[in-house]
Amino acid sequence: MTDQHDPRDELGILAPRKMKAKFDYLHREVQRAAGVRITRRQALGLGGLAVLAAACGPVTTAPKQNASPSASAADPLAGLPLENHLEIYNWSQYDDPSTYTLFKKLPDEAAAGLRIHETYYSSNDELLAKLGAGGTTYDIIVPSQNAVAELIEEQKLMKLDKAHLPNLINLDPSFLKPAYDPNGDYHVIKDFGITMFFYNNKIVTDQPSSMLEFYNLLTKYVGKGRTNLLDGAEEVVPLALMAIGIDPNTTSQGDFDKVKAFLLGLRKGVTTISSYGYINDAIAGKIILSQGWNGDVRRIIQGRAKQGDITGVIPTAASEIWADNWCILANAPHPVAAHAWINWILTPSTAVTEMLYHNYKIPMPAALDQVPASLKDDPMFNVPKTYTDNYHYILNVSPQVVQARTGIYTAFKAA
Amino acid sequence: MPRTARSFKPRYPAWLMSPSFLYYAMFFLGPMAILVVFSLSTQTGFGTIRFGFDTSQYRLVANALYLKIFQRTLLMAFLGSVLTIAVGYPVAYWMARHLSTYKMLALLLVVVPFWTSFLIRTYALKIILDPQGYLARDFGINIQYTKYAVGLGLVYNYLPLFILPVFASLERMDWTLIEAATDLGARPLTAFRQITLRLTLPGVVTGALLVFIPMTGEYIIPNILGGGKYEFVGNLIGDQFTEAQNQPFGSALAISLMVALSVFVIVYILFATKEERFGA
Repeated sequence: MTDQHDPRDELGILAPRKMKAKFDYLHREVQRAAGVRITRRQALGLGGLAVLAAACGPVTTAPKQNASPSASAADPLAGLPLENHLEIYNWSQYDDPSTYTLFKKLPDEAAAGLRIHETYYSSNDELLAKLGAGGTTYDIIVPSQNAVAELIEEQKLMKLDKAHLPNLINLDPSFLKPAYDPNGDYHVIKDFGITMFFYNNKIVTDQPSSMLEFYNLLTKYVGKGRTNLLDGAEEVVPLALMAIGIDPNTTSQGDFDKVKAFLLGLRKGVTTISSYGYINDAIAGKIILSQGWNGDVRRIIQGRAKQGDITGVIPTAASEIWADNWCILANAPHPVAAHAWINWILTPSTAVTEMLYHNYKIPMPAALDQVPASLKDDPMFNVPKTYTDNYHYILNVSPQVVQARTGIYTAFKAA
Repeated sequence: MPRTARSFKPRYPAWLMSPSFLYYAMFFLGPMAILVVFSLSTQTGFGTIRFGFDTSQYRLVANALYLKIFQRTLLMAFLGSVLTIAVGYPVAYWMARHLSTYKMLALLLVVVPFWTSFLIRTYALKIILDPQGYLARDFGINIQYTKYAVGLGLVYNYLPLFILPVFASLERMDWTLIEAATDLGARPLTAFRQITLRLTLPGVVTGALLVFIPMTGEYIIPNILGGGKYEFVGNLIGDQFTEAQNQPFGSALAISLMVALSVFVIVYILFATKEERFGA
């Protein structure tokens, strides 16, 4: 995973190494404009630049030399060679190390001498800020659903060339066109999870089954121990909206007023609002009633196996479903390699390795059939579709909606 | 030939100041200017802004909800400072007046917690306040995730910042004045009130402001000890930047807090100059 210099790709131009990604991009642009395969040397030479200048110039009626219009629309990368580098910007420790090494050993990738360089971010905010600042040379990014929607709107993502992703057929079709990318043009789902809740069954004697019932029990049990909500305006407000039967992505002021009243009514029942540290506290037996993400709740229940006092509930009715996704940036210097990477991830055997590594579900039936029963039969990993059918993605609809949610969140905390 | 008047002014060239001036310009004035520019711009999208002269953000600050949070922050910082004085002054007095051999050791013990990360000290306090801990179980003091825990955290974390300047002014005080007062028949309490307290008052004000100002900007203590549901202005500003991605409003809130604090800084400057004039 180092940025190794490849002598076969010698440019013969004195330029900083950093420029390589930019030259690759230029090469691709020239090739796209020319419509034929040309070598880097040609592409970056005067002839190539002339082709590019012609393509950028006034609209010309002269037909493109080879690729037929329909083919180029459906498969814009047709005929382009596989690059020898891939730049990934990802969450840390989110993919099995063998996924990278095996990818580089695939015949085409090995022949191209492909190298992968990966850097990491720790939140979608960080990712968006970095992309917003510009000047990046990443190929692959892994945004969560709301960041995907934002990036599509800002036209920062490349429309995927499905001809380069034949393994897409392995995915559960119901995950191809979600609300955050209605045409499924810009993302491939990496894995997904849900927001559920858990309680200490020695203390909480009711048996809540929906998020609304969870909220209604907070005030009743807060005197007996710590209750917790997941933090953040984008969790607290949309989750409460769903509990009272409203679209989490609503833009209506009336809905905001309703959810604010609902939240302020249960404020006394909330001890903490925290999304980090609640796993350890719950395993230490300090939380009696709390929301949590499915991967975390699995860990908590495993951690309390000896006491057996934690019950996890996948809510009936509405709750949150979230997803992390593979996307390619519009200015990716190595689009062919990026597509090859995503296609490799979509191989069932790779998906099995990945799921065993990160323990989040990849919606790929052929892969799920191969994971061990202990994982496959655990509804907190393999969340049944009957539940997720009722769940919604929480999106950053507009700055106004996000501001309204933050206002409610602040009022809730300050109450 | 007239004798040249002897000047006591330092004979250093003014340009020697340039490194520190540059430092302040780049890392204090520069960011401050950026903050002002941001607070006057308009949000056009997520994390994107249009620069201009838009004062609407400042009008939003005057919302009842935000004013309540400003009020709460200032009140909590004020109470925290008063408690710090109540706890810190006797300690400083004891160290300065009654210790001789172990004076420096005591001073060291006051400073030592500062060598540990602020965050770790706050987490340590969280463990002490745990409902299953001794304090809650054996003494019935179960205040974790309440405003009392936040107050305790404020006093605990900032106490050394108060003790040090007060200790310094007590150290410099001329204790023979007290002897003279008692010789002239003053009761100990009267002597303390009329001499010690008056002479160390500038030190107390300095110490109190040294703790009051950072307390108003506190972010970590309310978050950790308040259970993430106790809002200080710092938390409000943080949410505007990270949750709402609304830099203009977050900047306007930050500037407003600075303006509110300037009042207290002016008080500080007045007292600080007074101290220089009379000495303590």
